[in-house]
Amino acid sequence: MVTTKIDKIAVLYLDMMAGFNVAVIVKLEPDFSEGNVSYNPDGTLNRAETKNILGPHSAIAVNAAFYAKVRHGAKISIGTMGPPTAESMLQQAQILSDADELFLYSDRIFAGADTLATAEVLKCGILKMGSKMDIVFSGHRASDGETGQTGPQTAWKLGMTFLGNVIEYEINEQERTVRAKRLVRLQGIYDVIEEIEAPLPVFIAIDPSYKARFSTVSQRLAYEKYQREAAARAQNFKQYLKIFNASQIEADPKMIGIAGSPTIVYKVERIPKGKATRQADVIDGQDAEQVAKAVSRIRQALSTMVIK
Amino acid sequence: MEKYDVVIVGGGSAGLAALKQLSSLGKQAVLLEAGEKVGTKNISGGILYSKKPKKARVYNVEDIYENFLSDAPFERKITKYILHATSKDKVFSIDLTAAHNYEANFGCSVLLGRLNRWFLQQADEAAQKTGGGVVPGVHVRSIRWEDGRTVVETDELEDIETKAVIAADGVNSEIAFLTGARKKFSPGQLYQGVKVIVKLPEDIMNQRFSIGQEEGAAYLFAGDVTLNHIGGGFLYTNRDTLSLGAVYHLDSLLENPSEPYDLVNALLRNPMISELVRDEVPVRGEVDKNLPKEEQMRIRFAVTKMIKTWTELRGSSLSRTQREKMIRDGKFGSAEEMDEQMASLRAQMAEKYGIKFETDYVEAEYGAKLVPDGKRCRMEMPYIKNVLFVGDAAGRGIFVGPRIEGLNVGIDDAARAASAVARALDRNDFSDDHMGRYYTQSLEESPYTHDMKAIDKDYLKIFLDAAKGVPKDIISSKYGMVVKMMSSNTLRSFAVGFANILGYDKLLPIIETADTYVKVPTEMAERLGKPVTASYTPTIPSIAERIAKLKYNDDPRSHIKVLKPKSEFMEKMITLCPTRCYFMEKDGVMIQHEGCIECGTCSEETDWRHPAGEKGISYQYG
Repeated sequence: MVTTKIDKIAVLYLDMMAGFNVAVIVKLEPDFSEGNVSYNPDGTLNRAETKNILGPHSAIAVNAAFYAKVRHGAKISIGTMGPPTAESMLQQAQILSDADELFLYSDRIFAGADTLATAEVLKCGILKMGSKMDIVFSGHRASDGETGQTGPQTAWKLGMTFLGNVIEYEINEQERTVRAKRLVRLQGIYDVIEEIEAPLPVFIAIDPSYKARFSTVSQRLAYEKYQREAAARAQNFKQYLKIFNASQIEADPKMIGIAGSPTIVYKVERIPKGKATRQADVIDGQDAEQVAKAVSRIRQALSTMVIK
Repeated sequence: MEKYDVVIVGGGSAGLAALKQLSSLGKQAVLLEAGEKVGTKNISGGILYSKKPKKARVYNVEDIYENFLSDAPFERKITKYILHATSKDKVFSIDLTAAHNYEANFGCSVLLGRLNRWFLQQADEAAQKTGGGVVPGVHVRSIRWEDGRTVVETDELEDIETKAVIAADGVNSEIAFLTGARKKFSPGQLYQGVKVIVKLPEDIMNQRFSIGQEEGAAYLFAGDVTLNHIGGGFLYTNRDTLSLGAVYHLDSLLENPSEPYDLVNALLRNPMISELVRDEVPVRGEVDKNLPKEEQMRIRFAVTKMIKTWTELRGSSLSRTQREKMIRDGKFGSAEEMDEQMASLRAQMAEKYGIKFETDYVEAEYGAKLVPDGKRCRMEMPYIKNVLFVGDAAGRGIFVGPRIEGLNVGIDDAARAASAVARALDRNDFSDDHMGRYYTQSLEESPYTHDMKAIDKDYLKIFLDAAKGVPKDIISSKYGMVVKMMSSNTLRSFAVGFANILGYDKLLPIIETADTYVKVPTEMAERLGKPVTASYTPTIPSIAERIAKLKYNDDPRSHIKVLKPKSEFMEKMITLCPTRCYFMEKDGVMIQHEGCIECGTCSEETDWRHPAGEKGISYQYG
């Protein structure tokens, strides 16, 4: 029937208009929780015995992307650079975000990459995802590298506006802007919330304290619906998975792996413990008198402090 | 404001049944649950019944969920139901299986965490078809009526407009209190239940309780294990855990305060129960304190990992279904291969890390809940305006001697409430006359309501028959006349008739006494019981250790406010709070809400709310 045909075209057209594309870059990290992690006698991580999982900060980034799916029906693509075993981590990420596509960039040549060379691979990978991204998310940092550089460097290579420490964001599809709250330090004062607006596309490094907020029943029902869809999809995650090597993402061999890394980890040292300058008194918590004494000393100390 | 036809408050067994039933009737309903996930706030003693009363029909779990028996993750069908009277090391047992089977299709042990998640899947699937569903992590703050509209306010979401509300928010229903539908329950109307989940591999359980793969046992305890309180202990077999708990009349606890965990501990220390929960437990060796800190940590982590691996492997190897699954999945070639790997792991644990294997028991979870005694506190008018109350929220539960039922009552109520609401939606009439009274009438017709009002003489006979072997003089000293009347068929119906005319109010002080629950059973055990010895002394965790094992999502704001810090009641809460949240300070009783498991024991004299959405306790087993 003619009407249905027109309807279909209209829907298709709307789809194109409403098509909001989001990418997330994630990292495979060791599971540091007790009962899962193993250490060698010399104190280094026993990688063979320790399970690898989706890094905790990556998981938050994936959650942030899921918000765009629930609110705007965004198409989510997740990419990672890692060994072939990182597949199951991408499955974990799909469970969290109902991702439409999973990308694994895996090649021996990537080995030994520092943050800059990693960012190069991720940049090429994101460009290879096939959609023009409106937002790219990354975690705040990795729990094993702790540099927090890969996100910003990838943003720079992609030439995208970078928003770091984002704790909340809202998309305005009509205006094609994003409003974000950032948890920052200003003039020495911690935990200042800065609210900014930026035109799309943007690159967002998500803050560890990010939590998605859904304020109506219908939003929450949509959330539940996509979660169910995610669980179903993740059962056959390989159907959504594409594995690319260096040449497939058209990465310049000089810019990746050891060749593309201006830095190497030369040595890791423990931070020496500072010498305590203060004397500690150990008190018996059961003894009311001693506790009362400690309380009065705390009160005394507080009374001399100016708390703004 | 968003609009939904029906809002259901609370995602327990009753709320979910209401959602399933309404959705099956083609109505749109949204269920709001405060826990981070459905099932995390729910706890029960542990038996769900399906009944076939002679007088009238009830809505059973398998009527609501047709695939219950084939698909639901209930634990075990209870096939053996025994009352154990205890006195020190002596136990006298009375088989009550006939009483358990009375008017029953079946009774199965359940863990609500797992079971309610299954109910959720079924109910949610049905609800989606009508544009409804389940929203967890949302705490309903209040309901207001304005300009002919009913508005539900929550802590987390924008207000919701609705046509009718089904309040399934449990024994501490805030809706009931806030809307003025009823007063808070008083201790005289409540029982306090405290429960621990004990781990025990499946095969060991089957052997120890002499039950097959598809069978289960339920044990009740009375006598000295009650520490002189009105109530008793229970032990139910789940699939690979045991539910061990104590349920006591809150009034009796207030009169003679005992720490709730001591009441569970008294059960654990009983030699018969010690033996029933016994298992093999790996114990960590001492880590050499002279080793470098990093090395100590490495060893600690390695030990944790080995114990975890061993425990998982052992659990699977001692369960027929899991064993077969692992072999089918190709993880092991045969059962022998599993045993070999366990033995080698065990040797490694002992040699490398000095882990010892001792006889003890393994506790997995501690929890508590209040149980409404329907004969004392059921709401006569279980509604206010267009809000209908079901299950615990309406104070509906059956407490008759060893017969304690709540889950099935809540499910039956929910089905009736769903019918009443569906009918009101069809005619767009939510008035008291059309919906509230209709629902009340439907509940009055429920055989469960009858059980909350009157004694069933046939049930009593079965009970008395079971106790036939007990010498008359033990019971006669207390109930000579009663027993004589009850033993004769003609006199029994006369006596029950007379008792029912008197009503439960006058009857209860005679029946529910320390004599019934403590003295008579203790004497039975002393005179008729067989001695039981325990081969070990269980290492019972302290309350602090028990709380440390629980999972909480801390809310910095307290959901409970102490109103009368110097009242006698509040002072007793220091003892009666199952997680020791109260302590005495200079200015009176103070609360530390962080360890609260939201049982409501202190509710009567406090400003008591459920925590905000996702906050507070999150049970794993329930």
